[in-house]
Amino acid sequence: MTEPTPISEEPNLTREFARALRPVRRPTTLIERSLLRTGVTVDRAHLAAYQRLCGWPVSDLVPPTYPHLLAFPLQTRLMAGPDFPLRLPGMLHVRNEVRVLAPLTAGQEWTLTAGTARLAPHPKGRTVEVWARLAIGDDTVWSETSTYLARSEHPEPPAAGVEAPERPPAGPTRATARWDLPADLGRRYAVLSGDVNPIHLHPWSAKAMGFRRTVAHGMWTSARTLAALGPRVQGVGTHTVWFRKPVLLPSTVDLCRDDGDDRILAALRSGVAGPGERSEHLVLRWTPQG
Amino acid sequence: MTNSPGPRAAILGGNRIPFARAHGAYARASNQDMLIAALDGLIARFGLAGQRLDEVVAGAVVKHSADFNLTREAVLGTALDPRTPTYDVQQACATSLEAAVLLGNKIRLGQAQVGIAGGVDSTSDAPIAVSEGLRQVLLGLNRAKTPGERLRALSGLRPNQVAPLLPSVSEPRTGLSMGEHMARTVEDWGITRAEQDEIAAASHQHLAAAYERGFFDDLLTPYLGLTRDNNLRADSTVEKLASLKPVFGTDLPDPSMTAGNSTPLTDGAATVLLASPEWAAEHRFKPLAYLADAQTAAVDFVSGDEGLLMAPAYATATLLQRNGLTLQDFDLYEIHEAFAATVVTILKAWESPEFCRTRLGLSAPLGSIDRTKLNVNGSSLATGHPFGATGARILAGTAKELHARGGRRALITICAAGGQGIAAIVEA
Repeated sequence: MTEPTPISEEPNLTREFARALRPVRRPTTLIERSLLRTGVTVDRAHLAAYQRLCGWPVSDLVPPTYPHLLAFPLQTRLMAGPDFPLRLPGMLHVRNEVRVLAPLTAGQEWTLTAGTARLAPHPKGRTVEVWARLAIGDDTVWSETSTYLARSEHPEPPAAGVEAPERPPAGPTRATARWDLPADLGRRYAVLSGDVNPIHLHPWSAKAMGFRRTVAHGMWTSARTLAALGPRVQGVGTHTVWFRKPVLLPSTVDLCRDDGDDRILAALRSGVAGPGERSEHLVLRWTPQG
Repeated sequence: MTNSPGPRAAILGGNRIPFARAHGAYARASNQDMLIAALDGLIARFGLAGQRLDEVVAGAVVKHSADFNLTREAVLGTALDPRTPTYDVQQACATSLEAAVLLGNKIRLGQAQVGIAGGVDSTSDAPIAVSEGLRQVLLGLNRAKTPGERLRALSGLRPNQVAPLLPSVSEPRTGLSMGEHMARTVEDWGITRAEQDEIAAASHQHLAAAYERGFFDDLLTPYLGLTRDNNLRADSTVEKLASLKPVFGTDLPDPSMTAGNSTPLTDGAATVLLASPEWAAEHRFKPLAYLADAQTAAVDFVSGDEGLLMAPAYATATLLQRNGLTLQDFDLYEIHEAFAATVVTILKAWESPEFCRTRLGLSAPLGSIDRTKLNVNGSSLATGHPFGATGARILAGTAKELHARGGRRALITICAAGGQGIAAIVEA
């Protein structure tokens, strides 16, 4: 991997999305790149709005899911570039792992690094990993790795010796909470996150992209799920979320959770049929180790 | 009856967030958010994370209907064991002192060993109600079963019903704000502008000095970027205060109540940790002081018989009598500064032979107090006054100051909306 390229300003997401739409001949291999931004701080008003929308208490404690919003513009710039092997529109966020190594608070100043890694074949296409890291001085305090899937009609047969994609743990099935998600949730999270993918904004634009209704942001569903697990998960720890089926808006979803001493498993489900037939939107596993 | 009163409840410490002027630093925080922040600071300071307390009792004066279980919801957001029971109380500005009294009494009866009392209020995140006319239309619409009934219900709708109602600090029965009520008492007692501004300047100077010497280091947790109460003006003087224009009682001949000698609308939360002496010893906490006794009172302000904020004068007389004490038997006096004039009037009432005879039924006045022992670390004029939080703020600070001075006894009084008031004795 090459040294990270320093940038001084947060990339403009709308411009990056537009750049990703340009038709270019994309390479078949990934050049692993990374970007670095120093002096990153939290805008308290933005943090409070995020905490309110995702169900965290409004406080100085930065939720584990929040720094993704800071990293996403850098990650998008890397994925929107002409030398990125996959087309950004239509890419699916299938997995997100976040580690909090030290408590994150609103007064801190961070160095943010974000990069791309590991282009790999997948039974349904190809996956790529996009990562980010927050550091105070030389100490990493937070990191995340997202896996995105670019579907293709003719996926390469998996080469011998290549490990099969990780299967998520079986999520709990009994509802412990039920949430009514409003129709404008996608627009509200789009304003906060800058993720203005048309599938999140309006039923018409979502239909044009092949969905029946507006789709909730996966990162909102994971933040809301994590927030619902209570104060225990706010500090040091690791959570992994597997995104299974999109949550359509408006809708009613069930939180199913199973608390163990050394981990919490949660799933978000919907549908009124028997437990086996209900849609599984995500599975989340939290452990106290950072 | 096995529950004969045991030893007094010990005050182990307290924690609050800095108080913020309304629509400022905490504009986006709810009552629940602020109560969680104040509780979590206390929990961290006393190592209570994961512990099941016997109860947490707290309240807010201005509440959203969704916050019916405010304290319970807040506790579920803290590091306390979620099996900690709670309840909400509300006694206007006396809320969290009353909460502490209730908890203290349970501790004394052996019904609880350890608990937290607290309070919170936000005037920034206030609930907005619809007008009574619109409310009736909406309720009718909800009851309607047929399209015809729905249409009939909707026909009651008038454009002027649409304007929302913001909560106000006026008394429901008189329509007068607390400041207007106080202005009438000021006129009755002939309280001067200078007397009020002296109290206000002292409040700011005392609070600033308390911050300077680190008094709040173990009583406060920073929140949303604030490390101090942002209403504090360390450079406040009687001269500067004298330049402000009166805002209350401007319909009266000689108005003297200004924004400087009245408390501002404020957001904030405060908590105090109480336990039985036995529990404190078991957990190796040294009590700061003990909650000895308390008394509430109420006055008839609606008829104009008594001033709205005079009830603490009455509560104190009863409390002194029951405990065989004189007004001079205290090392500290904390008289909540709803307005500077409230403090001045209550002191004058205790000094007045006529008031003490005709109103309190005493043959001699309660007398004067040593003013150097009054509100020594500043009070609500400088700190701000998030209604529900004030009692816990005062109780924790008083216990700490009494302990630091090696004093024997402190008196706390708080006036409250509705013509109510509370007085409490804190002892070493």
